[in-house]
Amino acid sequence: ISAVPDPLSLSAEKHLVLLRDGRTLIGFLRSIDQFANLVLHQTVERIHVGKKYGDIPRGIFVVRGENVVLLGEIDLEKESDTPLQQVSIEEILEEQRVELQAKQESEKLKVQALKERGLSVPRADTLDEY
Amino acid sequence: TDGASWADDDWQEAHERLAELEDKAVAKGDGGGEEQDLLGDPEDALAERLTRLVIDSELEDPAIMRAVQTRGPVQHPGGLNSSIWDSSAVLQRIRGPLLAQEMPSVSVLDYALPQRPPQPREEERDPSERALPRRSSSPVIGSPPVRAVPIGTPPKQPAVPNFTQQILCPKPVHIRAPMQQRYPAPYGDRMSPNQLCNVPNSSLLGHPFPPSVSPVLTHLQRAQLLGGAQAGRMSPSQFARVSGLVGSPLPSVNPKLLQGRVGQMMPPASGFRAFFGAPPAPPPPPSQPQHPPGPGPHLQNLRPQPQIFRPDTTHLHPQHRRLLHQRQQQNRNQHRSLNGSVGDRGGHRSSHQEQMRKDPYANLMLQREKDWVSKIQMMQLQSTDPYLDDYYYQNYFQKLEKLSAAEEVQGDGPKKERTKLITPQVAKLEHTYKPVQFEGSLGKLTVSSVNNPRKMIDAVVTSRSEDDETKEKQVRDKRRQTLVTIEKTYSLLLDVEDYERRYLLSLEGERPALMGERKQKICEMYDNLRGKVPGHERPSDDHFMQIMCIRKGKRLVARILPFLSPEQAADVLLATARNLPFLIKKDAQDEVLPCLLRPFSHVLYHLPLGTVTTLVQQLTNLPQSGAANPHLAAVLQNKFGLSLLFLVLSRGEELQSSEANTELIQDNPWTELMLLATRELLRIPQAALAKPVSTPSNLLSLFSRYVDQQKLNLLETKL
Repeated sequence: ISAVPDPLSLSAEKHLVLLRDGRTLIGFLRSIDQFANLVLHQTVERIHVGKKYGDIPRGIFVVRGENVVLLGEIDLEKESDTPLQQVSIEEILEEQRVELQAKQESEKLKVQALKERGLSVPRADTLDEY
Repeated sequence: TDGASWADDDWQEAHERLAELEDKAVAKGDGGGEEQDLLGDPEDALAERLTRLVIDSELEDPAIMRAVQTRGPVQHPGGLNSSIWDSSAVLQRIRGPLLAQEMPSVSVLDYALPQRPPQPREEERDPSERALPRRSSSPVIGSPPVRAVPIGTPPKQPAVPNFTQQILCPKPVHIRAPMQQRYPAPYGDRMSPNQLCNVPNSSLLGHPFPPSVSPVLTHLQRAQLLGGAQAGRMSPSQFARVSGLVGSPLPSVNPKLLQGRVGQMMPPASGFRAFFGAPPAPPPPPSQPQHPPGPGPHLQNLRPQPQIFRPDTTHLHPQHRRLLHQRQQQNRNQHRSLNGSVGDRGGHRSSHQEQMRKDPYANLMLQREKDWVSKIQMMQLQSTDPYLDDYYYQNYFQKLEKLSAAEEVQGDGPKKERTKLITPQVAKLEHTYKPVQFEGSLGKLTVSSVNNPRKMIDAVVTSRSEDDETKEKQVRDKRRQTLVTIEKTYSLLLDVEDYERRYLLSLEGERPALMGERKQKICEMYDNLRGKVPGHERPSDDHFMQIMCIRKGKRLVARILPFLSPEQAADVLLATARNLPFLIKKDAQDEVLPCLLRPFSHVLYHLPLGTVTTLVQQLTNLPQSGAANPHLAAVLQNKFGLSLLFLVLSRGEELQSSEANTELIQDNPWTELMLLATRELLRIPQAALAKPVSTPSNLLSLFSRYVDQQKLNLLETKL
């Protein structure tokens, strides 16, 4: 139904930007250049944990192009029908912290188990080859 | 981007210059406008430089130009396919009106450029309505230019308080009408005029359109509208007429608003099917149940139209091309429709004011800037060698094409054009760089730039002597050297693999040369693999072993083997077999050795019996005195080793059985080996045996020659 999304048309539609560090920004794309540097207006950082998400209003963002993974227009009809549940900022930050901790724990256990068996996953930076 | 030197100047100077210019321009009646000297309006100079930057002769790819939406077709004398792109003069002329309107708040310009043609491009009128402070159109190094209206001036129209609240709670700015459809393409990009009027293009006009209103156009009006659109170009007058007609039956709705809205919508495009082939139209908005049947049959009649193929864009995949044209169509029609209100500018302005009210930041980027960026993006699609630049795309679509061709042969359907998916190459142009020359200057200036870099540092490579380095470093260096060798050999390999394609594309005369090159590269690869030794003998496998210790090296060998001559390949095989236990140990983590099996088996196929015998010897390290044979044990316990052994044995058996002269069997070293081998196999406990990749079928017959039935059964169970 919707037309072909064209970031260069810069229609005043909300855009979703995924950054290299994993952050999701949602805002109005106001400007773009040949390096994909973006100017986002009324940006909101959306944190997802499980089925919940929380929005943190951030204002105006100028994103350097090399950190952008992808950019897309948000279809506003579809935006409202998601199975995700919006929660408050504090709650989502708490959830995120909990998730991060759990991940670190499991990672530690994994490394421990491997060490016991005499195996080791080499760190990426010590590998010469690809 | 270029650094304009004038931008470094103080803004005050720029201001003074502008003032001067104003005086000068008022005084002169005639044409200084076209000549932009560096002291001219900074914006103009920058814009000119920008345009010059992009409009180079080599970039006159019509595909790129088509991406640029400001160059609407109404502008040009010859129409889209003319060669106007070549003449910068014309382009400058076009550029002129653009510039005139981009600086609305500086009245100086109106004086400075007196004979700009009367503005044919109404769409750029929007900036004149924006009271947003003037911006520079591209990154400016240095101070911003002078502003007639200081930064921070609120827009002319009173800001809607609703908007300021929304800064903090960034929900969608616009209140949307219940039916939300942007650019709907329910009839394959063609819209009935009724639908046109009804669809709230909510991104631009947030005014909630009362769903109950559904303007009715008579058939005649519809026909007019569609007829006009059929040519692909809506003449402004037609549109105005239609707008007028649309306006009248709706006394309740502000006609100007509607006109504006109609202007914003996408009038029927001319025969471009929607992306992905226009699946059956999604149902029109529920609020107009009475309309779909009307326009439907009407449109069906008009549907079969020749597609305006832009042959220049054939280097794009058809989907991408459609995208491109769709976009252009949209924007062009937007502009055109804005053009359409020639007789009714007031109405337009008010609708844009509405737009501004709802979202004053919507047009921060000028169309020109957007075109510039998209031009750059399109430039990146130009390629002198698509196979090099875009290998995976090319191969993937070749495969798809082959598939569809195969299907077509069976299906006997209509013949589609086969050349669709081939990316034509842009010719490689040789650029001779000529350094900048100034007239009237004494001597040559040495200007250092991207094309002519100046040497800044004298870097000399000094290699350290062996004594200084520690053992670790030596080992590391050696490993690094091996890695470099592998990479170099890989490039050679990729080149060699590509020769087939080049051969097909080249002319007759060039082919022997190509073959020669290929052979030479193969030799180089082999030398790299085995280590260049001046003598005939290759005394050490060391070099080869180094390569084989690295995962990538093993894969490299597997890929090179098909290109080597039988002797060379056999050499490689023997070296591998000789050092197999060592390799097995090193491969414990990677487990890549099995990838070598297939090329090895191919090689084996061509080997004579003598070589095969030697091979077995190497593999099994037999005959050997003493009970223990760790070499063989290691081989047997490894998947690759065992599989290789089986392959070799099977090959030997093949050769044996095919040989006519059976008397040789007695003296044959092969036979002796076999006897020994079978003895060993019997000895080794079954649990220690690895699982081979495949067990050749003739092994049993092989062993049956040398052992009696009892042992044969035993062997059978083991294997």
